Amino acid sequence: MRPAMRPGTRLWTHFAMRLVALLAAAPLALLGGCHSAPGYPPQSEGPPSSITDFATLYSQNCAACHGRNGQDGPALDLNNPEYLALVDDASLRKWTAEGVAGTEMPAFAESSGGMLTSAQIDALVAGMRKAWAKPNAFAGAAPPPYAQAKSGDPHRGEQAYKASCAGCHQNSPDEQITNSAYLALVSDQGLRTITIAGRPDIAQPDWRHDAPGGKLTTPLTAADVNDIVAYLGSLRNPVALTQAPAQAVDQPAVSKKRQTLSASRAVGGSN
Amino acid sequence: MPRMKPSQRIYAWFEQRLQLEGPIADAAFHPVPRTTASWFYVFGSAAFTLFLLQVVTGILLALVYVPSAGEAWNSLNVLNHQIPLGWYLRALHGWGSNFMVAIVFIHMTQVFLFGAYKYPRELTWTFGVFLLILTLGMAFTGQVLRFDQDAYWGLGIGVSMVSRVPLIGGGLVHILLGGPIIAGATLARFFDLHVFVIPGLLLGFALLHIWMVLKLGVNEWPMPGRLVRRSTYVAEYNRLAHEDGIPFLPGAFWKDLAFSAAIVAAVAVCAYFFGPSGPGGPPDPAIIQTNPKPDFPFLWIFSILAYLPPALETPVILIAPILALLALFAVPFVAGEGEKSWTRRPVAVLAVALIAVAWGEFTQLAGTTPWSPHMEAWSSDPIPVHYLRNATPLVRQGANVFQEKQCRNCHSIGGLGGQRGPALDDVATRMTRDQMRFKVVTGGGNMPAFGKDLSPAEIEALVAYLSTLHPANERPAYTPSRPYTDTGSPAATPPPAASGSTP
Ligand code: HEC
Ligand code: HEC
Ligand code: HEC
Repeated sequence: MRPAMRPGTRLWTHFAMRLVALLAAAPLALLGGCHSAPGYPPQSEGPPSSITDFATLYSQNCAACHGRNGQDGPALDLNNPEYLALVDDASLRKWTAEGVAGTEMPAFAESSGGMLTSAQIDALVAGMRKAWAKPNAFAGAAPPPYAQAKSGDPHRGEQAYKASCAGCHQNSPDEQITNSAYLALVSDQGLRTITIAGRPDIAQPDWRHDAPGGKLTTPLTAADVNDIVAYLGSLRNPVALTQAPAQAVDQPAVSKKRQTLSASRAVGGSN
Repeated sequence: MPRMKPSQRIYAWFEQRLQLEGPIADAAFHPVPRTTASWFYVFGSAAFTLFLLQVVTGILLALVYVPSAGEAWNSLNVLNHQIPLGWYLRALHGWGSNFMVAIVFIHMTQVFLFGAYKYPRELTWTFGVFLLILTLGMAFTGQVLRFDQDAYWGLGIGVSMVSRVPLIGGGLVHILLGGPIIAGATLARFFDLHVFVIPGLLLGFALLHIWMVLKLGVNEWPMPGRLVRRSTYVAEYNRLAHEDGIPFLPGAFWKDLAFSAAIVAAVAVCAYFFGPSGPGGPPDPAIIQTNPKPDFPFLWIFSILAYLPPALETPVILIAPILALLALFAVPFVAGEGEKSWTRRPVAVLAVALIAVAWGEFTQLAGTTPWSPHMEAWSSDPIPVHYLRNATPLVRQGANVFQEKQCRNCHSIGGLGGQRGPALDDVATRMTRDQMRFKVVTGGGNMPAFGKDLSPAEIEALVAYLSTLHPANERPAYTPSRPYTDTGSPAATPPPAASGSTP
């Protein structure tokens, strides 16, 4: 008995001839457009430390917390022209390299246990400015200075808070920024930054617009901001809740490299 | 003797001394049963054609490739980008390799299902098993020559498997690597294996294999009920070949040629469209942000290793391959006679189907590696914007904690993140706050315990965040008594109806 293949043979021959034609055409196509061939390989990626493209660096290292395009993440929006006009390069660099002690902002510089070279940190700082800063973001107004002074007065701060903030921040205790667990996790500088530059992505107004509805009002003075931050700082429960963040200050910014390694070990040797 | 043309005279001069005409004509025109001229019988010759393609492209590659630890990676980049069509050459060699492995497996399956290994072709099968091992050896050593991260880690895993051999493991590793670690000497060894030792053996075995195919005749088409018996088979076969036979050339051979041409064309097309593989990042043990994977033929091993419980690793790694090979070698000696047709051999068919499905599944799993954490998820995978739309400040901090503590590396949210643990998009519907707090602090079942790594405030924030993770139309899980026992504490659980945001 023969396998039934006779009728198929013509089809096969036809198919084979087409393939031969393709085979002949391929080298011609190659000679024509070698570098435009779909299979032409991309430049080989170097070691991760050779990446200095801002978009790549940002999306690999920052997007999870600061949002895909610097907005709408859980941590403050770096893509906020007012913020970028407020902060100086040295501070941007310092926070990125060394992290913000006692908060969830990790250290990224190799020198602080992170994965990024100092050239990569520079590229991030320059990139944020280039991509997101706008000239004259304050329209001529002069904001309070960026850095928090040590000498805020919590009692005055409480009054200022009631006057300027409570109008919007009057939800149940859990949902307020006065929640002690929340305050235990943010730094004074973080509170100050948000108070001055606002967070447009979550409708927190800047220092000039602290009125219900975010309307323009008398801007907060530098002293107001110092005092409000001192007041919020005084609400952190010093015993129960700050324990561990205080620890984190002692051993600055737990080495990310070590953490990653131990995570990969925890997962088992074979992969 | 009639006068000969000069060309004929030259031919005759050589033929008188070489005397190849007779054997070649015998081999080419020997009669084979008409039924062997089948499209099913073309895989062996295609495998050999691919081997020849590999030899030719390999020789050309070796003109540029430098087998030294410092230069190998660079020389591949030179081939890719500086030498005209160098990339295409690499692509041909790489795809040729994939195709060769695939065709060898297909050939083997076909031979197995058609009972072609039965008497008197047992030795042909045995040599075929050697050819399979050698082909895989070529694929593995070739991958090492790429000397990029994948190669480096693939070799590392291979070596750690070898090192488990009792007593002589350490010595074997030393011989394989040319020292205790992967270094220049390692590459030199694998280069030697890949271009001299294994191809030499492969060619030798292949020629013997083909010799036996010609001498013993191509297997006849298996007929249900026509049993193989040692006493009668050869006579029956010869009757088939002579009474209803055709000369091997061109009767059956043209199909081999056509199929081989088609396969080479397919390699050329794949190479053109998909290009060469790698080289990936440079090999550097200091770089830990990698996700190394072996090449296609070995992906399934990668998956199996990932799923093996640690206690079984050593026995399985050492014993399973030996058993598998023994089984392969034993096939023609255990079942050397009897039924050839797959229609009457259900066990054989089921075995093939089972192996194929398992292989496909493991290979597919290796593509997604659900078992390994995504090492960059914690800092790179954004949280879907609408998950945080109505978030409180504490919930936002909880999301920061979730990222910073690398929970995301194992748990996906909005489809992004690791798959080692369950996706947490609706975790609040299946766990109460207390259960979440307990799970995070104590871990369990492959989930690390985070109790020591988290401050009380961090745990509070984390749980606040996790409890917002439920669909808008589904209430989160809660303990009915909670609101009554907790009223005093600042971080009290609100009754579920009032809780948090709705992703
Ligand atoms: C116009 C209303 C409004 C006023 C006035 C206002 N805020 Fe807010 N604030 C918001 C909104 C809306 C949010 C986002 C929702 C939330 O977190 O509760 C927010 C959030 C915050 C956050 C949390 C940001 C984060 O990253 O999670 C802080 C801190 C904050 N406000 C501080 C202040 C301070 C300090 C003042 C007074 C100087 C103030 N706010 C005044 C509307 C306001
Ligand atoms: C794991 C989450 C996380 C990641 C990843 C992260 N950040 Fe942050 N970042 C935070 C948090 C939370 C804060 C607020 C800290 C505080 O309370 O002051 C912050 C604060 C900052 C600040 C200081 C803001 C200020 O007050 O002036 C800068 C600058 C910054 N981040 C930059 C970056 C850059 C650049 C990256 C990527 C290389 C990055 N962050 C990655 C969580 C993160
Ligand atoms: C190394 C990987 C890994 C990391 C890192 C990890 N988890 Fe898990 N997680 C798991 C696994 C695996 C499970 C399933 C455990 C089981 O079988 O009970 C799990 C279970 C859970 C559960 C229960 C889910 C359910 O539906 O049963 C929660 C909640 C959880 N993890 C939260 C977290 C949080 C929060 C973090 C960060 C602090 C975290 N996980 C970090 C692997 C991980």
